Amino acid sequence: MTRSPLTLSVAFHLGPVAVTTPVVTTWAIMLLLAGGFWLTTRHLALRPSLAQATLELVVDAIRQQIHDTMRVEPEPFLPLIGTLFLFTFTANWSSLAPGVEPPTAHLETDAALALIVFFAVTYFGIRFRGVRGYLATFAEPTIVMIPLNIVETLTRTFSLVVRLFGNVMSGVFVIGIVLSLLGLLVPVPLMALDLLTGAVQAYIFSVLAMVFIAGALGGHEAQPDEEPEPP
Amino acid sequence: MRFDWTTLLLQTVNLLVLVWLLRRFLFRPVMAIIAARKRAAEALLADAEAARAAARSEAEGVASRRKSLAAEGDHILADAHASAEAERTELLSQARQEAARTQQAAEATLDQERARIRRALEAEARQLAVTIAARLLARLPPQAATAALLDMLDAWLATLPAATLGNLTGTGETLEVATAAPLDEAAQASCVAMLRRRLGDSLRLRFVGDPALIAGVELRGPHARLSNTWRADLDRIAEELAKDEQSLVPCASG
Repeated sequence: MTRSPLTLSVAFHLGPVAVTTPVVTTWAIMLLLAGGFWLTTRHLALRPSLAQATLELVVDAIRQQIHDTMRVEPEPFLPLIGTLFLFTFTANWSSLAPGVEPPTAHLETDAALALIVFFAVTYFGIRFRGVRGYLATFAEPTIVMIPLNIVETLTRTFSLVVRLFGNVMSGVFVIGIVLSLLGLLVPVPLMALDLLTGAVQAYIFSVLAMVFIAGALGGHEAQPDEEPEPP
Repeated sequence: MRFDWTTLLLQTVNLLVLVWLLRRFLFRPVMAIIAARKRAAEALLADAEAARAAARSEAEGVASRRKSLAAEGDHILADAHASAEAERTELLSQARQEAARTQQAAEATLDQERARIRRALEAEARQLAVTIAARLLARLPPQAATAALLDMLDAWLATLPAATLGNLTGTGETLEVATAAPLDEAAQASCVAMLRRRLGDSLRLRFVGDPALIAGVELRGPHARLSNTWRADLDRIAEELAKDEQSLVPCASG
């Protein structure tokens, strides 16, 4: 272990802007996902190929998960929730590539994800309930709950950041320590566990985002009563 | 550890761009093709349902047509039976009529044949009677026969009315006396005497022989003829028999 995973390394400078490694990795992931999906969806047909069938399976599974979790028509939320899951999943699993550090192992990427969820909650709450309707949700069940609801909104966003960052960063940190101490093949089981943790965290992050957005929709839509317990 | 706000900003922008990219290149086309497949499947199901409904309708139509064909077949069969029965009845009726006509024709032919045979037999009987009578007369003595003949003539004339006798001959006209065998002079004299007593003294007579008369006398005047001969009797009998036969034929045929 030559350096701490908590530190950010600058890949290059773009004028006065220092472009860090997680940003470059994210660009690579974006290129991989968008390019791969573009190549696959160029020639969609009613009789699907294996790749098209796989894509349809993934998209339909995400869509069904949104419907089951939020109890609403999933189409308005599918691009956001689907992107959050696919990016988080791909970013968590990017550690499989030699020398690549997952962007989600850095606090800035997780904070960006949580920030997007925070604004998405606000956007969909206002879109479906109006400004007053959305603000009224902070006074539920009684008006004295307003401070607590505001704190809850901020803290649950912060918990998204910390949960994802802690799980992914810890995996990377443990693998780095074991690799530096014991040798080449010993960290393999830990890497497999890290992949499982990454997949579960991607699912958890997406489900929490759905729950928060569904909570903002209020009485207009049926929504889950309570947030699933994170692992 | 320090928090890099530039990285946060770049990652936020990156993630928003990724949302747009995946919406553009993944979710929208995949959802579109899923919707298109769903529509195609629904159209296919609708077509299949329509085809099944059409097949069911066609099957019902076929069953209905089969029933109607069976009913029509029964109707045609019934008509054929009725037509055959009517034709059979007509043929039987025609056959009965034809048989009746044939029977009537046969009976008529039989009656005609029977009448013809009867007439032939009667003619033969009449000829036989003539022959028998002629032979029986030939066995009688001529004087006795002539005397009997004259007596019979006298008695016959006595039965005739005067007007009939008056129409027999006029003044100065000759009355011809015909007999089967010529009379001798004595018989002629007796006959002249008897006739003048009955018809008048101015009567002129001429005697002739006519074997066709068989027996008896026939008086032949210019205006009338009185016959009391066997030939005339046989002819009269034959006419009466013929009349009786004609009156009996319809009864026999009927």
